[in-house]
Amino acid sequence: MSISIAHLTKTYGKLAAVDDVSIEIPSGSVFGLLGPNGAGKTTTFKCMLGLARATSGEILFGGKPLTPKTFEYLTYVPERSVLYEWMSVREHIEMQRRVFARFNQKRADELLQMFALDPRKRIRSMSKGMRTALAVVLAFANEPDIFILDEPTSGLDPVNQRSVLKLIIDAAAGGSTVVFSSHQIGQVERAADHIAVLQHGKVVLGGAVDDLKAGSKIVEGIFESDAVALNGLSSDKRITRVEKTGRIVRLTVRAGSDTLAQQLSSMGAQSVRIVDLNLEDIFLDAVDAGASADVVEHA
Amino acid sequence: MPAVLTVDPRSGVPIYLQIIEQIKRSVALGVLAPGEQLPTVKQLALDLTINPNTVARAYRELERDEVIETAVGRGSFVRSNGTTQNARAAASDVAAEALAQAVREAKSVGLAPSQIRALFETAVSRWFPEEA
Repeated sequence: MSISIAHLTKTYGKLAAVDDVSIEIPSGSVFGLLGPNGAGKTTTFKCMLGLARATSGEILFGGKPLTPKTFEYLTYVPERSVLYEWMSVREHIEMQRRVFARFNQKRADELLQMFALDPRKRIRSMSKGMRTALAVVLAFANEPDIFILDEPTSGLDPVNQRSVLKLIIDAAAGGSTVVFSSHQIGQVERAADHIAVLQHGKVVLGGAVDDLKAGSKIVEGIFESDAVALNGLSSDKRITRVEKTGRIVRLTVRAGSDTLAQQLSSMGAQSVRIVDLNLEDIFLDAVDAGASADVVEHA
Repeated sequence: MPAVLTVDPRSGVPIYLQIIEQIKRSVALGVLAPGEQLPTVKQLALDLTINPNTVARAYRELERDEVIETAVGRGSFVRSNGTTQNARAAASDVAAEALAQAVREAKSVGLAPSQIRALFETAVSRWFPEEA
């Protein structure tokens, strides 16, 4: 089921926590929401779920707005898992089974084993990682069409983090749509096919991961002297950043690396090379570009 | 399918391109035989811990390039019809990309075309001494 977020804004007083965010999430895709702390990820999730009332904008699930029925096929794992301290793991499973028509008990038992969770254990004696694991177990045993997962690997050890990623991949292969946030870009790089980077409540970068990687490059030219005229480069929409250090000019580009490499050549660069960027580089560039000047000249 | 596939998700090269390149190379070298079955999209995605739509995209492009074929309900297979030709074309693609990269490297360190050609000739005669 696809999810469409159009011009979502959520203000708290004068602060716009989410500022005109539009995101299209195709059905069956895994969508990674990235951004520094306080960028608006959790607020976006809360607006999607009706836990916070959007100031303006529209959110559609399979073309329809959120209704009580939506929760039959949607599961949300909040950043801080909502578990009852005095209840056991087994009691949480029992409660979930009564609430969700699709709840799969057999699957729940398998998942408890996968994360080595003891059904008899009470929440108050569980670590942060075990709580996250239980929240994940409850979500995936619901077998929903849509997963909204806010930091679903936080506090987990690397083995369990990998298990969560595999659950996400398995769900998407089965046709479910997964939206998740993570601070670990490596996880997003593996599991997600589409991403958006939020900063100060705005989308500063978005698209298919493979397309972003294919387009985003550093084009570096070394010139004969440091008297290089950079005019024209800073207004080029494909270039997010121009850095000049002495005879070296470095362009961070989102598209057109081959053409821009040729352009540097024709401007007189003796040597030009193109460097691939991984998602972490692309993420940092997007967050940086929002914060600093586009043209940087080092002495 | 033998465990010939490894991807580096942290690389700047899109993962689907890494899969395409490796499967083409495996077919060209005969590591993947004509008619051999490939893992399902879901299986390969889980094995490599990567997005299933990324694997599906790689498979679609390999079908388009006539390296593999997919029979509905049976899975994806290395093409047996005209495989020699497709494998050669695939191998040639891989080699062409590697050569293009080498030339770009050579150019980036400031070599002239004539110097690059000389280096190329040296490399060829090293690997084909009988032709020298």
